[in-house]
Amino acid sequence: MELFTPDFGLVFWMFIAFILLFLILAKWGWPMIIKQMEGRADTIDKGVEYAREAKEQLDSARDSAQKVIGEAQARQAEMLREAAKMKSQIIEEAKKEASEEARKVMEAAKVSIEQSRKEAELQFRNEVSKFSIDIAEKMVRSRLQNDAEQQKLVDKMLDEIEKN
Amino acid sequence: MTKKFAILFVLLSVLAFPFSAFSSEKDKGQVDVKENIFHHLGDGYGWEVPFSHTYRIPLPVIVRAEDGKWFVFSSSRLSQISEVQDPEAGKSRKEAVPVIYKTEKDGKDYLFYQPHVSTHSGKVVQLFPIPDAEQKKLEAEVTDSDISHHVAPGYTNIDGKFWREYRCFDLSITKNVLALFIAAALVIWIVLSLVRFYAKHGYKAPRKGMGFFELCVDFIYSGVIKSTLGAKAPKYAPYLLTAFFFILTMNLLGLIVIFPGGANLTGNIAITLVLAVMTFIITTVSGNKHYWKEVFWPDVPIWLKCPLPIMQVIEIFGLFTKPAALCVRLFANMMGGHMIVITLVLLIFIFAAFGAATAGVSVVVSLIFSIFMLALDVLVSFIQAYVFTLLSTIFISMAVEDHKEKHDEVKAA
Repeated sequence: MELFTPDFGLVFWMFIAFILLFLILAKWGWPMIIKQMEGRADTIDKGVEYAREAKEQLDSARDSAQKVIGEAQARQAEMLREAAKMKSQIIEEAKKEASEEARKVMEAAKVSIEQSRKEAELQFRNEVSKFSIDIAEKMVRSRLQNDAEQQKLVDKMLDEIEKN
Repeated sequence: MTKKFAILFVLLSVLAFPFSAFSSEKDKGQVDVKENIFHHLGDGYGWEVPFSHTYRIPLPVIVRAEDGKWFVFSSSRLSQISEVQDPEAGKSRKEAVPVIYKTEKDGKDYLFYQPHVSTHSGKVVQLFPIPDAEQKKLEAEVTDSDISHHVAPGYTNIDGKFWREYRCFDLSITKNVLALFIAAALVIWIVLSLVRFYAKHGYKAPRKGMGFFELCVDFIYSGVIKSTLGAKAPKYAPYLLTAFFFILTMNLLGLIVIFPGGANLTGNIAITLVLAVMTFIITTVSGNKHYWKEVFWPDVPIWLKCPLPIMQVIEIFGLFTKPAALCVRLFANMMGGHMIVITLVLLIFIFAAFGAATAGVSVVVSLIFSIFMLALDVLVSFIQAYVFTLLSTIFISMAVEDHKEKHDEVKAA
């Protein structure tokens, strides 16, 4: 049967064609395709791994950011509180200082008033004593025109000294 | 929907037309089933053109004459289109009839012919005229009533006149050889276009057709080669992948009825023989110590191998039966598929003799069945290419397998 007897010409050409096909594809075809497919698979694997890691990092970063924000908020609140405290303190101090100053001013004023009062008093007294001495001198002068009277007065003075 | 029907109708008519065109060819309206089947399964010096049984695409004939000289000529020289009187239809029609191609080289005449009545029917032979005495002697041997159909070994019979024939050493680019080149070129083009895509686009994955091709490569490489051969996969992958895609392309091209396809390549034993021999060579060359030990000194009771080398004979026989099975499996499957489709179509002409109604029914039934068979053949094309690759991989892996770890495992257990 012709169908079951291989024809030499066809065997020859098949051999040539197959060898050529094999050489061309083994040199420029299959290794490139296999390398490419495996390289791409590796890249995808790496990409997936990288994405997973990145997500993990992102999660942890988000956590730490949350923490930092929380801390910052707490610190801010504290600072605000402190500022408020400081403000009231400063006001308080200012008030105190002002009142102190006022007091001092008042006191100084008082002192100066007192001083001037005393001076005035002293002056007044001096004036009064001068007037009274003058008056007394005049009176004494008018009264001590006789000796009896002078004796009487001296006695009375002596009595008084003795009594004392 | 209507578009689909239109396409289907056109395809159906394309399928039906060539056969109806040549159904009128036979004198008595009878179709020579066997000749038709073998003509379509076999090789040829020209390539059939759709809708015509007369004209063929001429292909180069490369032959060596008896005295060792080489000749290259067009296959169109071997036949001539001539008017033939058809007594049945009562009119003449064109038909390709074989003629003797006469050429001269170094002052000597050479005659080439493609005989029909000869032991080398259909092949190019060199003819030599014989003396009258020999002709008379041969005529005397003829017992048939019709001398023009008498086949005498070593002689070509042309309308009752005998010529001594020499079957040329034949390296012609026949229909199958050209189809082979087309298939190889197609595979190279597909593979290299994918490589070019990679070069252009880097690690970008290909889409559509190229993506599908890459999927197939991955299916074979990861699914068959790598899982069987392991670390040795890159060494044998080029051969196995080449074999797979070459077989697949040849199978699928064989299913296309018109020009670039239609050659029954993988259903030809020469093609599958070469493929199987390749696998055999690779298996034998790369066989390691363990492989040859299994052949010549297998692990069986000593009486099976020592005085009488029973196991050795079986094993050595097995070395050859494995690739032979590869060869025959692919050949038989593909040839069977083609044969069934041709037979189903020929049923139309067989039933045509029983009248119009039977012919009509058989047209519908045959076409439905042959389309179903062709669809099945697409599946078979893929499966057979896959099976060839899978078995080749297994044979190679049996030859190169490292048994060291396995023995260690057994000892450890």
